[in-house]
Order: sequence, then structure tokens, then C-alpha cells
Amino acid sequence: MVIGGRLWCALLLLAFAAWGQGDGAPAESLEERVKRLEERISQLEQALGLAEKRLQAVAEGTGGPEATTVNLDAETTVSLDKVALSKLAKVDELDQQIRVLARLRELDQESAALRARETPQTLTGVDGFGFKSADGDFQLNMGGYIQADGRAFTGSGSSQVDTFLLRRVRPVFQGVLYKHVAFRVIPDFGEGKAVLQDAYLELRYFPRMSIRAGKFKAPFGLERLQSGTDTMFVERGLPTDLVPNRDLGIQLAGNLVSTRLSYAFGVFNGTPDGGSVDIDSNSGKDFVARLFGTPFSGRGRLSFLSGLGLGFAVSSGTQDGALPSFKTPSQTTFFSYVSGARAAGDRRRYSPQAYYYRGPFGLLAEFVRSNQTVENGGTSSVIANRSWQVAGSYVLTGEKATFQRLSPQRVFDIGRRTWGAVELVARIGQLNVDPEAFTLGFADPAKSAARARSWGAGVNWYLNRSVKLSLDYENTKFKGGAAGGDRESEGAVFSRFQLVF
Amino acid sequence: MKLQSKPAIAAIALILGAGQSVFGQKPVKLLNVSYDPTRELYQEFNAAFRRYWKAKTGVDVTIQQSHGGSGKQARAVIDGLPADVVTLALAYDIDAIAERAGLLPRNWQTRLPHNSSPYTSTIVFLVRQGNPKRIKDWNDLVRPGVSVITPHPKTSGAARWGYLAAWGYALRQYGKDENKAKEFVARLFRNVPVLDSGARGATTTFVERGIGDVLLSWENEAYLAINELGKGRFEVVIPSTSILAEPPVAVVDKVANRHGTAQVARAYLEYLYTPEGQEIAAKHYYRPRYKEITAKYKDRFPEVDLFTVDEMFGGWQNAQKKHFDDGGTFDQIYSKGR
Repeated sequence: MVIGGRLWCALLLLAFAAWGQGDGAPAESLEERVKRLEERISQLEQALGLAEKRLQAVAEGTGGPEATTVNLDAETTVSLDKVALSKLAKVDELDQQIRVLARLRELDQESAALRARETPQTLTGVDGFGFKSADGDFQLNMGGYIQADGRAFTGSGSSQVDTFLLRRVRPVFQGVLYKHVAFRVIPDFGEGKAVLQDAYLELRYFPRMSIRAGKFKAPFGLERLQSGTDTMFVERGLPTDLVPNRDLGIQLAGNLVSTRLSYAFGVFNGTPDGGSVDIDSNSGKDFVARLFGTPFSGRGRLSFLSGLGLGFAVSSGTQDGALPSFKTPSQTTFFSYVSGARAAGDRRRYSPQAYYYRGPFGLLAEFVRSNQTVENGGTSSVIANRSWQVAGSYVLTGEKATFQRLSPQRVFDIGRRTWGAVELVARIGQLNVDPEAFTLGFADPAKSAARARSWGAGVNWYLNRSVKLSLDYENTKFKGGAAGGDRESEGAVFSRFQLVF
Repeated sequence: MKLQSKPAIAAIALILGAGQSVFGQKPVKLLNVSYDPTRELYQEFNAAFRRYWKAKTGVDVTIQQSHGGSGKQARAVIDGLPADVVTLALAYDIDAIAERAGLLPRNWQTRLPHNSSPYTSTIVFLVRQGNPKRIKDWNDLVRPGVSVITPHPKTSGAARWGYLAAWGYALRQYGKDENKAKEFVARLFRNVPVLDSGARGATTTFVERGIGDVLLSWENEAYLAINELGKGRFEVVIPSTSILAEPPVAVVDKVANRHGTAQVARAYLEYLYTPEGQEIAAKHYYRPRYKEITAKYKDRFPEVDLFTVDEMFGGWQNAQKKHFDDGGTFDQIYSKGR
């Protein structure tokens, strides 16, 4: 017991003090000193035993002598009267009470920590709001984004009107059930319409493969697969005209080689180039597959290539029915097939694609070729349309450019004189329509252009991770598309206030 | 569906092939949900069983352990902790899993020898070196000034065994007078300053935090405390009488069937009854069922006058209902005594 320990120490100190008084004695041999010490320890043990018994009697209130005298040796005596013993017992009792209180507090803290682990959590932050079960197996997140745009057109090449519009108003509901079943639902109320953009469930039972079914982006175009909140420009470039948008189907996807290689393939209803569909108009299906790798990520020796991503996507299917129309980045339709023309057979697309991010610099490039069998009035042919773009960005404020949303190092705060992040962007792109589309009468050269070539430049200001302001200028030149020559070039200024939560 | 593209079909076949390798056969996994002081026992036992099962079937088996107060562990299994097997402190806790969650049949205790209890134990006293409070038997625990450490009977199997051991002692002392037994146990719990949720926590309170004069402890836990936590600091005191604790084991059928582990789970528990399993139990101070092993380790297990729950309390169901259910005698004496 504690009291025993204290008493033992006290007695030892006294004993050694007493022993020290004999310094003037003749020198002893080591053996004699050890022997003398052993005798002293034996005496002390006897004294301690006696004292503890007396103390015990006092503590238990069962009487005992009025005083206890403990003889350490012939010269040293320790007297412990009943009051002293009682006080020592009291000290022992208080010591125990303190220990009990400390332990109770410890148990309370353990219990609180356990309760915290078992209590569902509320999630709040820049990525939305939600709830999570204590074990994380069940989760619901609610977020969304709003894009309030302004568009102004210059020159006479566009039929568009200057306007403000809500380009995207998309609440995002996503979550996890039973740890491995994820879901995501995104309606869109932008531009005065109600559209279901995404609605899918995903089984994540295997570490390297997930199975997704529902409506979502087909795994094809590089810029198309980038979130609409993260693109460099307000609107995507020309190649997006040739790639499928959201489609209904089932997809297997995952990461291999320590996430350096991602794969996805799926079977979909099939959409025309650039399109999204909810209802299939034929029994044909598109098979879409994509491999994308970042082969140098995490490699120390080639760290300057760690931000390089290379990929290739293919799609193949047989489709009858609707054909696409193509828009400039300013959202002006510059090509459409004549009425009566229809998709009538094989459709194949392929797209090599790449990006490169290093420090504040970002580069994105893709090429798309889309071959579609088209038929009109008994004439049938494969129409091969092509498009490419190269887009670059540079973050003036030093943040790292990324394929995902940029995070400012210092959020905009007037009081602290911090201004967020500023990014400059530029791009060039082109879309070529197969000349046979005109020579075979599938398109009207007086109304549809055979080529669109655009360039753009802009600036993005990220006040914080949630708010982004954008200002772009896009210029598009056309080949053909007007009676007797080329359609007039189009200039457009885009602005966007974007909130993501 | 028309998939007319040969590359498409080839790609599907390729990815499905990759998927096969992704799905590659995994070693069998078992979760053993057990009570507090069996950590060391099952660490050694699991290693032995892994070797045995690999040699017998060629299959690797991974066994995960979960430990806590026995009652608490039973509630966790009822609430969804996916135990393939349970090895708890008392039959009532496994009964609760069978009755409330229906995860195993109510006759689970008949499926293995000795009422599905492969080893036994009892409750002893752990005191500080030199036994300064001169604690020899149960009646010393009710003396004023003696501080007793025991876990909470609502959550801990050891605590319930200890509580019933004290009650049984009092019944014998006072001619089966229930009121006097109740008063005796009430006095004992008035000397308890802290109630941990499990036996291991109570050992921590006594050994590491230096609280109390005596720990009511599983026999194996007491020796573990001496051997591993404080050699020369503690002594075991065997009371004149105590209770025969029979910690039971069972396969949780519905979980094991769902996991496809029923066969290995059964073999796991049956292995406890083999000489190897019994030897490991004895090494960890659990009293083996088989005489040969008991004889080999007789120095470890002094003779004690042990009574059973059945003979003293009419079985665990009765004991639980009378003493530990809400409003039972424990609630009466503990709330009254605080």
C-alpha cells in the first residue's frame, strides 16, 4: 500500500541518517559493511511490520496503543503516536479518493469517446452537408452548384441574343448504404428546364472494380468527363460536340497499378454525338471503353512527369434514328443535318486524350473522330467528323493547377487583404465535318458550316473553393455555312458566377 | 441487345478476365467475439488452430478477436456485430443472442460437450503483496475500510460471477436466508468505489491505478496480473468457497452460414476440446475439462469448494432475472448503497 511505501522511505532515510553519524568510526571492510546493512534492513523490516500493524488498527478503529515506538537501532527511535498514525491513515484515505476520482474521470472520458464513436455524425463543409452513421457505413451528402452566366455577342455572325441565364442549377444528392452501395442523383433546373442529369447506383464490393448502373456520363471525352464546375472555360470546347454526354447503361470501372491506371467500360443505349438521352429510340447499343493512366505519378525520379495523364477511349455500336447538331463554344449551332437524314448503322468513335499539370501550369488536349453511317433518301454513307482542341492554364497566385477544382491557398478576405486565386486560360480548337455530308446531301452548305475553328482566352478568379468568377472571350471562324460563302465569324464574351457547395 | 463489334466483345472478355483475378479466392475469416480476459488465451489458441486447419485442409484461416464485457459483447452481436463464433463469460449472454436476435438455436448449449463450456474458472481475490488488510474470505470484503474492485454486473460476466459467488457464500453462512444474503452483498458493494465495464478494466483500476485493497477476479486474470503486470506486487487469495464459472462457446449459425464459415467455425470450437486446446487453456489458467490435463497442471489449480449456478440459483435465467435485470436485486442494493 501507499502508506507502507511512504513509511518505508521515511524509515530508510532516518536509518541512513543514523548510519551516517558513524563516519568517524574506524574503516570497515566491505563485507562488514554489507553485513551491517543487512542487519539494518532486517531491523527496518521488523519496524515497518510493527508500524503497519499499529496503523492498520488505527485505520480500522479497532483500538491499538496510544503510541508506537519503533526502534531502528540502538541509537535511533521513531515515535508514532496515535494522532500521527491517524493522520497517516487519513492521508492514505485521501490518496485513494483522489485516485478513485481520477479513475472515474478516465472512465467517463472512455465512455464519452465510445458514445462519440457510436453516435451518427453531421457533416458540414465546403463539399456540402450530410449525415454519417457512426461506423461510416451509411452516409448521405447534399450539395449542389449554381452557375449564373452572362453572354454578350459581338459581330453579326451569331443569331444569339445577349442574355443572362442560369446555366446550371443542380442540387446533388449522394450517399452510401451498407458501406458498399453508393448512389448519386443530380437534377438540373438550369435554363428554365427540369432535367435529370445523373441518377445511378454503384456497387463497390471489390477494391479494384465498381459496377455502376443508371444514367451518367459515358466514359469517353476528356473534357466532358471533367465536372462542369471545374472546366477551364465557361463552356466546353469543340471536341465535346462529338462525344457522348449522359447515357443510360451499365459500367464496370476501377483503378489498377496503384491507381495509376483507371479503366471503365460499359454498355449504353447510345446517344448521338454531344447528346444526352433518357429514352432509347432503337435496340442498338453502344459499347464504350476508356483507359486513362498517369504512369509517372508518385515516381520520384520523373517527378516532372507526375502530372502527365494519357488516355484512349473508344465507342462502338449500331444506331438508327437521331443525328447530332454541332455548336460553337458560344453555344451557337453551326451544323445540322437536313431533315430526312438519319443515323442508319454503325457508329464508331475514338479519342486519344491527355493532360499535363505541373505547378501552376495546366494543359489539356484531345482529339475525337466520330464515324456515323448516315442515310437520306436511299443514299447511305459513313460520315467521319473530327475535332481537336488544346487548352492551357496558368495560376498567377501560385496554386497548383489540377484537373479537379482549384483550391486557393488564401481565400478572398478584404480585411486580411487576401485575394483568392487567379488563373489565366487560353485554348484553340477545330471541328471538321466530313465533306461527304454536303456532297451527298446530308447537310445544306448554305446553312451548315463545314468547319469551325475557335480560339478563346479568359480569366478565372477563385474567391475560395466554393465561389468562382469567370470571364472568357471566344472567337469562332467558319468555313461555309452561309449562302455563297463562309458564315461570319462569331465573337462572344462569357461571364459566370459559380457557387459550389 | 446488339453488340456487333468484335473489339467490344474482346474488351468485355478481357475485363471479365481481369475481374476473375480481382475476385481471387480469399482466406477464410472468422470473427471470435469474446469477453474481456480471454485475449491472451485466444491469441495463442488461434495460432494453433491456424496451423491445425492449414495442415488439415490447406486453407488459410484468419481469426479476428473482439473483447469486452461479456454482456456488452452479447449486445453488440445482437445489434449486428458479425461474429462467426462467440466465446462469452456466461450462458445467459449467448441465450440472449439466441432469443433476441435468433442468430442461433436455443438449444445451442447441447451441441458441444460439457454444456458447450470447454474450460471452467472461478472467482478469486487478488490482494496487494503482504495482504495488508488481511483478506482471507468473503466476509473480509464487507469490513469497513476495505476497498473492493469489481466490474459492473450489468456489463461484465466476471462481475456477475463474483456477485453470485458472494451471494452463495452468504446463503451458506446465514442458513439460506435471502435477506441476510442481500444485506451481505449490499455491504460488499458499498465498499466498491469504481465499477469498470469489464474485467480487464477492473484489473487496470486495481493494478495500474493503485485503487482498492482487493480485486474480485477471474482466476486466470489474477494470475495474469501477477505474472505479467506486477510480479512481487500482488498475491492471490483463494476464498473458502466460490462459484464454478463455466464460460460457454457457440457458433453463431446465421452469421457463419452467411459468411460460408460454418464448417471452420465448428472445427474452431471443437479444437478447444482437443488435448492441444485444453493444454493451451490450462497454460492460461483456465481449468481444463479433461483429467489428464488437469493432473498435469494440478499445481496451478488449488482445490476450492465450488458451487454451481444451477444448484445455488436454479440456473442462469433465474439468476439473471432476479439479480441483474432492471429493477433486480443489484439495482436495489447498488442504488440504495450509493
